[in-house]
Amino acid sequence: MSPAEEGRIRLTILGGYLGSGKTTWLRHQLHEGAFAGAHVIVNEAAETPVDDALLGAASSLSVLAGGCVCCAARQDLIDLLRRIADERSRVEGSARISQIVLETSGLADPGPIVEAIRSDPVLVYHVVVGEVIVAVDALHGLSQLESEPLGRRQVEVADRLILTKVDEADEARLKTLMATLAAINPGAAMSGAARGVTHALPDATGTPPAALPDLSGSAAKPPIRPVRLHLDDSIDWTAFTVWLSALLHARGDDVVRVKGVVRTPAGRLLLQTVRRVVQSPEILPEQGDTREDNMIVVIGRGYSEKQLKRSLAYFAGKDDNTMAR
Amino acid sequence: MCSACGYPAAPGHWTDAGSPTAHDRLRSRMRRARLLQNILPNYGLKAYDGGEIPGIQIMTMTGSQTILRDLDEVWALAEKVSGGPVDPLDPRFAGEE
Repeated sequence: MSPAEEGRIRLTILGGYLGSGKTTWLRHQLHEGAFAGAHVIVNEAAETPVDDALLGAASSLSVLAGGCVCCAARQDLIDLLRRIADERSRVEGSARISQIVLETSGLADPGPIVEAIRSDPVLVYHVVVGEVIVAVDALHGLSQLESEPLGRRQVEVADRLILTKVDEADEARLKTLMATLAAINPGAAMSGAARGVTHALPDATGTPPAALPDLSGSAAKPPIRPVRLHLDDSIDWTAFTVWLSALLHARGDDVVRVKGVVRTPAGRLLLQTVRRVVQSPEILPEQGDTREDNMIVVIGRGYSEKQLKRSLAYFAGKDDNTMAR
Repeated sequence: MCSACGYPAAPGHWTDAGSPTAHDRLRSRMRRARLLQNILPNYGLKAYDGGEIPGIQIMTMTGSQTILRDLDEVWALAEKVSGGPVDPLDPRFAGEE
């Protein structure tokens, strides 16, 4: 660190594609005591924050929901960072926060975020971008690199790549992914993790990288958008799971990510899917912010909000209301 | 998460996570079969679950039967039998754009 950087807040940007395991990794790092005393900022593209419920170990936390900080909510991020810097400059000694961790939404390109901070006339004297860490899903990483320009841009700007879900990945595919990542970004350090815990990576020396298609022009797909679905009283867990399991079976390539907290007889269940993989729902405590319960975020492409709602209502059998629930 | 930094995960297939007791599970299974019965006949299948045996009973229109463990298996079978997946965004369920 050069003398001029001393005293500035070190900002770590944690990026990665939808469902790549950013929050799981960060949660474990905080649990282990990494990023001590850091202020954690969580950005979610949808207006329904979920990740903040999981990051209880952070010493202080802000949520920027309802837009991605690399584009729509960029000014919100700048305002928040200015506020943090301003508050910090009134505090003396060890109580001053020394670092910030920004967990971006899965739709964010970290490049413009770094750009925005560096070009802000105030923040440039208060915040220094320390490291860009990008989580890459070992199960879905290759297909994302093959089909999503955003997945490639995220990898390109990383200083450090964390391969997540390494324990579940097939070794040959994992090696190809590692070789492909090294071809896209040869300078980035690479390490493995499983549920946040460090996990050894195989030796991929000599493995040829996958040939990635050109994604510009006609191959470009429509952008991925978040849709919020409210599960009203007519939609119980059983109906919701019948609908969602069919949706993921048929449209798992387009429905990239589903997340939300659902109230059930078993308690508050945190539901998360990545493409066709559904995590075992976590049982959340009753405390905390429950205002966003039963609000599900579906992130993907190829459908409208109206179609999703009508389809869910149909699957929930809204016309056969004689059935006992 | 590791064993210390997360919340407990619900055991079993994820679709069963909402039913904590045996009673809830039975009720959920019966409702699930009724809901499937609204959808599957479009794909040449019938669903039944009386709770007597574990699993979802699926019948073809010609009367052959099979017992499936979970919804993933149901959708895979429906795709095989009808030649295409049961797509909830099919216009007959989701309407036109």
